[in-house]
Amino acid sequence: MSDATVFIVDDDQAVARSLRWLIETVRLKVETFASAQAFLDGYDASKPGCLVLDVRMPGMSGLELQERLAARRTHHVPIIFITGHGDVQMAVRAVQAGAFDFVEKPFNDQDLLDRIQRAIAFEGEQRGREAHRAQLRALFASLTPREREVLDLVVEGLSNKAIANALGLSAKTVEVHRAKVMEKLHARSLSDLVKLAMQHQAA
Amino acid sequence: MITGSDAMWLGFVALWGALTVALIALAVMLLRLREAEQRLRDKEAEQQGVLDRLQENEYRLRTIIESEPECVKLQAADGTVLEINPAGLRLVDAGRPEDIIGKKIYDVVAQEYKDIYRENMRRVFEGEAVVYEFKSITLKGRTCWMETHAVPLRDARGAVYALLGITRDITEHKWAEEQGRRHQTELARVARLSTMGEMATGLAHELNQPLSAIANFARGCIRRLRSGDVAPADLIEPLEEVCEQAERAGEIMRHVRDFVRKSEPRMTAVDINQVVRSVVKFTELEARQHETVVTLHLAPQQPRVWADSIMVEQVICNLVRNAMEAMAETRSLRREIMIRTVPQGEDAIEIEVIDTGPGIDGAVIDQVFDQFFTTKPEGVGMGLSISRSIVESHGGSIRAESRAGGATFRFTLQAIPLRLSSDERRYSLHS
Repeated sequence: MSDATVFIVDDDQAVARSLRWLIETVRLKVETFASAQAFLDGYDASKPGCLVLDVRMPGMSGLELQERLAARRTHHVPIIFITGHGDVQMAVRAVQAGAFDFVEKPFNDQDLLDRIQRAIAFEGEQRGREAHRAQLRALFASLTPREREVLDLVVEGLSNKAIANALGLSAKTVEVHRAKVMEKLHARSLSDLVKLAMQHQAA
Repeated sequence: MITGSDAMWLGFVALWGALTVALIALAVMLLRLREAEQRLRDKEAEQQGVLDRLQENEYRLRTIIESEPECVKLQAADGTVLEINPAGLRLVDAGRPEDIIGKKIYDVVAQEYKDIYRENMRRVFEGEAVVYEFKSITLKGRTCWMETHAVPLRDARGAVYALLGITRDITEHKWAEEQGRRHQTELARVARLSTMGEMATGLAHELNQPLSAIANFARGCIRRLRSGDVAPADLIEPLEEVCEQAERAGEIMRHVRDFVRKSEPRMTAVDINQVVRSVVKFTELEARQHETVVTLHLAPQQPRVWADSIMVEQVICNLVRNAMEAMAETRSLRREIMIRTVPQGEDAIEIEVIDTGPGIDGAVIDQVFDQFFTTKPEGVGMGLSISRSIVESHGGSIRAESRAGGATFRFTLQAIPLRLSSDERRYSLHS
């Protein structure tokens, strides 16, 4: 099973305990917080998982917590909002602001658990993508400025000769730089190289 | 030498002299008699004049009393009616004076008021002037309400020999008063209902909390039982939670029932702090919706108040709700409500609801308790007006103040002195 944690923020302790009891049946770790502030103070962003949040709370509301988390430059934990009957407007606002999902009370247990699993899976993928992007950044960072120049022109579709002309180098030197770039980026072919460069550009 | 004729002459002179003296004396006496007679006549005339004037006076008084539109009557200490004017006869539905004169006044006093009536008569005969109300059943069996102003009548030696009573029919007034009271009660009920209307959504949320907790606990149990992955003993705690949450839901429902119940004030010795706590519990969800933090500063040792706890709860509820709405409308950054209970010596307790809202416009601060006064687009303007009538019916007062950082509403309730605590404890056990 995944080692993901479900973070529950609910000021109603009975509801928080009941959610824990329910969610633990699918062998997920659960951490509960009695207020949005307590969560902000105690949440470890490096732990994989998702956040289950009551939209209405005294003090800082669920929506406000969402805003605060969004403002942080760290990893974004997916949020599943729990809303009461008639809170649809709030739920819409929450989703517009980037919430992963919402469930309306009273909810079906399987439904909630499914959404939690989806959120955790999504978060796992997100973490994977992030790791991949970080790796790419590291690889590209290892290139010398000259190698970057050669790579940019390769990706533009220029031949070695054209690149040599453009940079005022010999074709031989361009050949060497190109081989170095392929090696550093673990690219096996030209198309590999182009793909990696585009991914890096997007990231 | 005195001769015989001389002697005769002398005798004659002496006799004449004596006669003259006697005549003069007689004349004087006659004159005196005349004077005395005259004086007597004068006196008689004077007396007659006094008598006439007395008669005139009595006649005038009698005319006034007879034509007096209100009942005027004299009663003896035992309640016997000595005299009564025509208005009085009409008031008790007596056709002839003898229907009531010589009879006991108690004949026309409603059974349940006879003791009160007797007590008031006793006070008058002890020399007091009193005013009392009573219910009367007239000689024709008509029920009406009377108000009597009674004073003692004293004889020349100062002893009270009768009660002079002026009695008015106040049935209509009483009826209007009763209507007014009923109207107030009804108003309060309507307000409670409309409050309920406003709270219906809040209530759904409130009930949702324990219900979803119950569902989660129960489903958690079912899932574990299905997977066979649980020891029975491990299910006890979550099942206990289920029961607890069911009770919590029941408590919410009981509260709603109490709240909408139509009833006369039920006065008991009330712990005001408990009432405040119960209001906080009841408005918890609304506070959550309005993102408002409610804090309490309750006096640790305070006397109890003699009050209808539901009504007082309603007052505090209204004030708290008003504060929340005021803060929500203006999007106050800090939304806080503080409720304080502050004993005012031994005689009273002050309850304060302090918010961090926009405060109250000085121009309207005197009107906030008026009926139909509202600053809310969808408000009816009943909440504060009803709150005031409740507080005043409890013998207290309520006022509003605007500070730099919000509004403060405070009201007082009469406290039961602590020395009466033994009795009052008994009450509180039943309340």
